[in-house]
Amino acid sequence: MNDQELIAAIAAARREAAEVPERIREIGRAAFAWRTVDAELAALATEAPAGARAEPAAVRALTFAARDLTIEVEITDDALHGQVVPPRAGEIELRDRTGVVAVARVDEVGWFVLGPVPRGMFRLHLRAGDAVVVTEWITI
Amino acid sequence: MRNDPSVIDLVERARDGDATAWDALVDRYAPLVWAICRRYGLNGADAEDVAASVWLRLVERLGTIREPAALPGWLATTVRHECLAQLRTRRRHLLVGDEAGLDTVDEPAFEELLVTQERHVAVRAAFENLPEHCRRLLSLLFGDPPTPYTEISSSTGTPVGAIGPTRRRCLDKLRSDPALVTVAGAERT
Repeated sequence: MNDQELIAAIAAARREAAEVPERIREIGRAAFAWRTVDAELAALATEAPAGARAEPAAVRALTFAARDLTIEVEITDDALHGQVVPPRAGEIELRDRTGVVAVARVDEVGWFVLGPVPRGMFRLHLRAGDAVVVTEWITI
Repeated sequence: MRNDPSVIDLVERARDGDATAWDALVDRYAPLVWAICRRYGLNGADAEDVAASVWLRLVERLGTIREPAALPGWLATTVRHECLAQLRTRRRHLLVGDEAGLDTVDEPAFEELLVTQERHVAVRAAFENLPEHCRRLLSLLFGDPPTPYTEISSSTGTPVGAIGPTRRRCLDKLRSDPALVTVAGAERT
């Protein structure tokens, strides 16, 4: 870039920054409060349509993998049906951006049901024995 | 692209809980988030939803970002993904994977957008690092047409004959900023 081009680039870059609505930055600053420091993150390992594309019940299966366990979830029209593998009993929360929206017991074979199906972003937070696992955020 | 030391520093500090560093990251990359939303025709509440998803994902990724140089690329891809999710939500009947016609930004265009955004991020970061007199002088030159030297002289107190050399020194200082030397195309031609 010559001097003129560099000056033009600075001008364009700064103009662009000035055009960003302040809300976009505010939302960003607020997101820091959601930092999880005490839980292990379970990343989304697979995402596959588990059923035929039958309307209206499009079932989707999600697998979240942490170090020592996975959380498998099937999403149906009315609920999240899940299993913790290997099985262990505990408590699982459904959280959206506003906080905890549903809580369910995880039974001895690792099964749980959470509902209703959240609209927008959500994540699961599992406490089972000494394991505290939080899934990454997903949107369905 | 090499790692911009200031990004590495911000990511590490944010990871350790420094909210100021996190705010600086948000400031730095908000224009990238916004630019991609706009490219997908999203604004208002839709763009805010996208931004919320993207920032939350970035927060949870802080601990696992090994290569801060990859951050803009990761962010851009995530924003694009969230924009498509948002568009899909608008068209409820579309299932995942059934996105024909949804992604209106093709690969070359997206790549170009990313390159431009990375350059702008770096240029802004370098500009912020300039001494105040440089920032003021360069700001006066942004105008189209640029502010005449005589006016610049009277508003900054710099003699007319010194404006050209000062401008060159300021631009050279900008070019040598670590944030900018990592960006292709920023070198002097």
